Amino acid sequence: LTFSVALVVCGLVGLSAGTCTSPKVSASSYTPADSQVLAAIPFIAEFTLECGNGEKPALYADVGGALVPVSTSMDGAKHQVSWVKTLKEAAKGDVTVPLYDADGYTQLRRARDKGEEATVTPLVSIVVSYPGSYSGPLFNSEHFALFLSALVFYLAFSSKSKLLA
Amino acid sequence: MLRFVILVFCGLFCQLNADEGSARVLLAKQIHNKYLVEGMDIVVKYSLFNVGDSAATNLQVVDNGFRAEDFDVVSGQLQFKLDRLAPSANTSQTVVVRPRKFGYFNFTAAEVSYSGSEGSSVVLTGLSSDPGQGVIIAARDYDKQFSSHFLDWAAFAVMTLPSLGIPFVLWYSSKSKYEALLLKKD
Repeated sequence: LTFSVALVVCGLVGLSAGTCTSPKVSASSYTPADSQVLAAIPFIAEFTLECGNGEKPALYADVGGALVPVSTSMDGAKHQVSWVKTLKEAAKGDVTVPLYDADGYTQLRRARDKGEEATVTPLVSIVVSYPGSYSGPLFNSEHFALFLSALVFYLAFSSKSKLLA
Repeated sequence: MLRFVILVFCGLFCQLNADEGSARVLLAKQIHNKYLVEGMDIVVKYSLFNVGDSAATNLQVVDNGFRAEDFDVVSGQLQFKLDRLAPSANTSQTVVVRPRKFGYFNFTAAEVSYSGSEGSSVVLTGLSSDPGQGVIIAARDYDKQFSSHFLDWAAFAVMTLPSLGIPFVLWYSSKSKYEALLLKKD
């Protein structure tokens, strides 16, 4: 009797866990190409997640070491993970964001609270790439014009001095 | 009499603590721009903080401040929901919009609605911080000040060529004539 009760309990737990089987994610990310007027660089990743068993689990993302909940659009179709970095901190390259479901999140939180290295495999991972952005011209055209006119003046003056010498 | 007074006092005390254990969500809306320019990105960041004692559930954030005819949403969602925000937890959402018009624009507050405790049917609402009024500069004025102007300087160089070139040509022609005369003499 106890064995059958235990089996039923395990079965119920399995049903209520809501784990996502064979997750498929399609993501699109955005980082600005021109950051001249910006005070911080945004990194935005929008994605849709499809589970084999039709589950819609609550997701958590590891953004820069902190675990944050993932927001969903009002119609529930798209999710979004986003953060901003100041112009000095933003580095070129790809940032991988692991996504965890509720179980993975609690396991990771517990491991991090204890201070030990966590080896929780994420549900999926999405990649946000930042190839750098245009932050203004290297040198201003007026500085270049000044340098060029100084060069022309120097050439003319030196050749004149040579002639008169 | 004394017992009655004590009872009333306990009742009052309990009433004061009735709302302990409710979630309280604060929403901050920040614009991360040096300048606001027509046709260039505006980075809007919404930060949610739960300063209450229990988790907030069924959070919904709506920002109707960026109308579709005035702004293009480049990336991100202006209306989003969150299942659960634990106490003392925070999260953020970033949206990039591009203004279609220039002029004075009043950045209004976004609204957040959530349930104070798990399974509660009471919906609490709040407003975000108000970034206030900003000036969206016309693209033409921005280019006048900040573009590289290389074409303008190239045109200037071409225009200075006559005033430099004509005296040089005159001197060179007379110099070569004089040297030719000298050679002829020898």
